[in-house]
Amino acid sequence: MNDHDFYVYSAIGLLAVCTLLTRTTFMLFGHRMPLSEEVRRALRYAPAAALTAIIVPELLPWRAQSGGAVVDERLLAALVAIWLFHKTRNSLVMIAGGMVFFWILRAALQYI
Amino acid sequence: MLEGLTAVRPALIATFTWGLVSGVAMVKSGLTESAAAMMTLLVYAGSAQLTSLPLIATGAPLWLIFAAGCIVNLRFVIFSAALAPYFQGLKWYKRLAYGFFTTDMSFVLFMPRFGDAKTRGTPEQRWFFLGTIAPGWIVWQASSMLGIVLGSIVPTSWSLEFAAVLALMAITIPLANSRPMLVSMMFTGVAAWLSQGLPLRLGLLVSVIVGIVSGIWAERRYRKRR
Repeated sequence: MNDHDFYVYSAIGLLAVCTLLTRTTFMLFGHRMPLSEEVRRALRYAPAAALTAIIVPELLPWRAQSGGAVVDERLLAALVAIWLFHKTRNSLVMIAGGMVFFWILRAALQYI
Repeated sequence: MLEGLTAVRPALIATFTWGLVSGVAMVKSGLTESAAAMMTLLVYAGSAQLTSLPLIATGAPLWLIFAAGCIVNLRFVIFSAALAPYFQGLKWYKRLAYGFFTTDMSFVLFMPRFGDAKTRGTPEQRWFFLGTIAPGWIVWQASSMLGIVLGSIVPTSWSLEFAAVLALMAITIPLANSRPMLVSMMFTGVAAWLSQGLPLRLGLLVSVIVGIVSGIWAERRYRKRR
């Protein structure tokens, strides 16, 4: 096993521990530790914040080394996808539509 | 159990899509097919898997991957705190199993139905729950494996990993269901953009803290106004 494999498998192992900790701790020991209302409230904001914090740099990366791309097809395709989701409330339509628009934009930008 | 199976059926299309996208995304972000299969079987948490992929691809430190996975999974702490009374009295390994296989979908189907039940922990309730988690697991694993196979066939130039970002967005957008939550997500977004130059992708943790603080701040503000 090389270093990179070891890194990847360690990450997978740790994520499995995440799943176990978050899903089973209360099932196993819940009767011993009631959650206060403040803690519940704070916990509600954390997952949405983590997801947002992962998505934003994927769509709006800093591009100092490439001279700063002005038009990014990812961001535009994402905006179209959000609009599609708003219209249809369907994640399947959103993902498929976003991908198709992304391909069209990328093909179009090559000819400019 | 039949009622659980019937209730979960419409949701399985969504599960199938997620599994497929996650499978493709794992392979496209550089995981080998066996690592991807292992991840699907052991982690069994789509949003945590999709969240960790960009981190793994950039070689972020392991503790940060662990932290990010736990934060995204925090909703399950709330879910299991609500579900636990229905499974008390069972042997520990059964509670462990019910906990591990709990999904967003099963929680969303279970609570409106049995949330106000007079007695908690009847066999009927447990069978219903089992009816929702069993097909979810089977469909998720099958579609993930299909995605892993497809991901290794489809050329990289199609940029299918972008579908993973779209899939994460499809989980995130419905969460913006209240004004404080929207405020929190906007502050998080700005923080995430500004802090992305920080080493070790520490911007992620900074942004989460900004998100929680601004969310609670917004909640207090809106309550005062009323």
